[in-house]
Amino acid sequence: MTTIKTRLVTALGGLLLAGGAQAASEKLYLFNWTQYMDPAIIQAFEDKYDVEVVQNYFNSLPEMFAKLKAGGVSQYDIIVPSNYYVPRLIQTGMVQKLDKSKLPNFDNIMDKFRDTAYDPGSDYTAAYQYGVTGIVYNAETFPDAPRSWSLLFDPEVNPSYPFAMMGDGQVSMGAACAYLGHGYDCTDLDAWKESARLLLKTKQRGNFSGFVDGTPALQQLARGVTHVSLSYNGDYLFYKEENPDTFKNIKFMIPDEGTELWVDSMMIPAQAPHPDLAHKFINFILDPEIGAQLSNYNYYSSPNAAATPYLDKVLTQPPVTPADSDIDKLHFTPSLEGDKLQTFNQLWTEVQSR
Amino acid sequence: MVESSLTASRRRAVVGETRHLLFSVTPGAAWITVFLVLPSLYLMAVAFMTNGPYGLPEMPLSLDAFRQLAGFGFLGWSPGNAYTLLRSLWQTFVSTALVVIVAYPLAYYITTCREKWRPLMLLAVVVPSWTNQVIRTFGWMNLLAPGTPLSDLAESLGLIGPHMGLYPSDFAVTLGLVYNFLPFMVLPLYAAFEKLDVAQVQAAQDLYASPVRAFWHAVFPQTLPGLLAGTVLVAIPAFGMYVIPELLGGGKSMMLGNLVARQFSGGSNWPLGAAGAILMLLATFVGLYAMRRIGRRLGGGEEVVI
Amino acid sequence: MRKRTLNRGLAGFWWLTLAFLYLPLAVVVLFSFNSVNSAAHFADVSLRWYHQLLGNAQILSAFRNSLILAIVSSVIALVIGCLIGYGMYRHRHRRLGWLIVLIYLPIVLPDIVFGISEMAFFVQINRATGLLEPGLGTMIIAHVTFQIPFVALIVYSRFVGLDPTLFEAAKDLYASPFKRALHFLIPTLKPALISAFFLSFTLSIDDFVISFFTAGPESATLPIYIWGAIKKGVTPEINAIASLMIGAVLLAALVSLLFNRPRRR
Repeated sequence: MTTIKTRLVTALGGLLLAGGAQAASEKLYLFNWTQYMDPAIIQAFEDKYDVEVVQNYFNSLPEMFAKLKAGGVSQYDIIVPSNYYVPRLIQTGMVQKLDKSKLPNFDNIMDKFRDTAYDPGSDYTAAYQYGVTGIVYNAETFPDAPRSWSLLFDPEVNPSYPFAMMGDGQVSMGAACAYLGHGYDCTDLDAWKESARLLLKTKQRGNFSGFVDGTPALQQLARGVTHVSLSYNGDYLFYKEENPDTFKNIKFMIPDEGTELWVDSMMIPAQAPHPDLAHKFINFILDPEIGAQLSNYNYYSSPNAAATPYLDKVLTQPPVTPADSDIDKLHFTPSLEGDKLQTFNQLWTEVQSR
Repeated sequence: MVESSLTASRRRAVVGETRHLLFSVTPGAAWITVFLVLPSLYLMAVAFMTNGPYGLPEMPLSLDAFRQLAGFGFLGWSPGNAYTLLRSLWQTFVSTALVVIVAYPLAYYITTCREKWRPLMLLAVVVPSWTNQVIRTFGWMNLLAPGTPLSDLAESLGLIGPHMGLYPSDFAVTLGLVYNFLPFMVLPLYAAFEKLDVAQVQAAQDLYASPVRAFWHAVFPQTLPGLLAGTVLVAIPAFGMYVIPELLGGGKSMMLGNLVARQFSGGSNWPLGAAGAILMLLATFVGLYAMRRIGRRLGGGEEVVI
Repeated sequence: MRKRTLNRGLAGFWWLTLAFLYLPLAVVVLFSFNSVNSAAHFADVSLRWYHQLLGNAQILSAFRNSLILAIVSSVIALVIGCLIGYGMYRHRHRRLGWLIVLIYLPIVLPDIVFGISEMAFFVQINRATGLLEPGLGTMIIAHVTFQIPFVALIVYSRFVGLDPTLFEAAKDLYASPFKRALHFLIPTLKPALISAFFLSFTLSIDDFVISFFTAGPESATLPIYIWGAIKKGVTPEINAIASLMIGAVLLAALVSLLFNRPRRR
């Protein structure tokens, strides 16, 4: 009994020591979307600056925001929110201004991403990647799928196959608004109410399978758990290239009524533990070759003008770069705040709980 | 003189006793007070605050959260939260009833088996509950997904639509709850069956023709304390479940626990979540109180010590 | 005659229920050996998901966190719980109703309310003072809080089962309370201490909801990792780690069975 005890204690001690030894070098805490960062880039950064990068992941923006509120503001060094969350992050004081003097590569960013509506003058954000949200579906089940949200919302187009909607309320609401003709970026209360009613009716259909976030939706499609869902163009292509067999029938499409164009940016939380290192990381990502490596890995469009010559050919075509005819179908999700945001949240909780 | 030294030593003993009491009890009591009572009080306070624009509670005190919980919002009254609450009550009731129906024959059967097998049988029933809740529920997700034998069977019976799985659905949540809580009912019922007065049962069998009436009049009343203990262990936690409705219910079968959690981890409304938490606490305490009252009336003072 | 059919019916029911109880676990284990990523079709036997597991640094770190959390919290809870259990016993003739309520509170509270109040409380303290950042520290505190009542009750019931005159005898033998504790109380308590430690350990390892709400960026435990993996998109790698945990539980069951066989008092 005593020998077993001593052995157990030594084993545990070894485990603890092993954990402790890693704490010696400085760390960078990255809070990012899943499937969005190339492990080789992380390794390169760790080697260059002799630090350790701890990656944490979120699958949706509400999840990211909740984690930040629950203490994440002083625990993460870099977060990667989408455009429509930036204003609320700035207004609640959860992020700090970027020190451009520490970011020599900042000028690599394309002009259109340097002075945006959601962050004038780019004081707080450094663009990371941009992409499109669209419908992913099983082409075997729907060989003549209409290029429309009706694949999701019309019970006659899909009477019996399981489908899912996106967990992020603003995207689902935007899709409903687009389908009803109000445009993806509607903010009018009556349009919202009508869309909420459509979402409720859709949710109560027999073949509704649940709310799923963008990246998990692809796994569900591959496993045959759902046949129609929403997801992102880059994730779709990533999985398709990695598993051509499982994904050979899965297709991505941009609905004609309009859909989301989003821009993700790197931001530094207000009480980040290692702001200097965070700036170094942002600068590292903005390097032309690293920026290209990132896009080549996750199949998203790069906002880095200097990276263009290094991009793979597949990135210049749809689904990554939308066709010219599709450009005006793409809209930013509206940034909400104050009363409007509260109203929206209430509507969305309503949809989810009935 | 002897008297005064006696009272002095008695006083010293009393002081010593009190000091001992304080020394042994204070760490635990202080810990629970600081790290449970205080946070719970804070949460209850949050329910009376206003929801800030981005979800964190702000100062002007108000009853808005409770109004929202009852369904009143910017857009008049909507029944969503009422549905969630009713669903929670219904799921608790149905799953507890099913657990009772399954556990009774099981517990009885174990007592009819030979002494030496009984610990092994009880262990066999209890071991699944030793596995992690998330893993257990994940197992049911695997079993009830579309395309699995169970789903195919249900589809051929016409119970679900084509290509659908048995989850997410109310049925899956009930199944998950029953699975989770069955062992907690079997153990107390087994204990009650062990203590059964067989003479009463035989007398009843002589008096009544049908075994059903014998059961109802002789066996059932004697197992009531066990049934009560089991119901406390099943119904009250079932009402506040989070993992099972979240994984097996998806967006289709939300219970109160999910509504509350959502306000803290995605939705942006801490006061609403806190109001829901108060509702859960109320339900828990009312349930416990009701059980104790029934227990005292039936068992004649037999305390249910878990 | 009727009784025999009843017994046969009950026996059948017993086996059916047992199958019901073990079916989900069996399916998890079975599909962990599936060579393709599907819940519906089992293709070939393959160990690929287990290989993937071994290379997964996050799982290993989650495993380490689970262990550290369980051991540290169980030890702290053991000390505090013992003290309070002994105090409850020694002063059981006093009116300590409020203490009983306090002890039962963590057991009775729904774990979602428990987790959320801890989180809300820690977050506000953290904003005000910078202490109690979400991480292993806050998780340990939360776990100790729900373990103390179990330890206290186990210790208390062990004492209650003892002959009170033993305490008098101990008082005669050992003058100082410290010596009494060392040579009498702790040895008598040993079986209760061991089972209290294992109960606390199990409760901590298995806990999900409370850990989920009090965790920080680096302190994910195994249940939290599995939950995240399920939310992220199910692959049989989850089956693999789940199967390992199920294996550990079965092992523990076997151990407890063997322990209870030769009854040594």
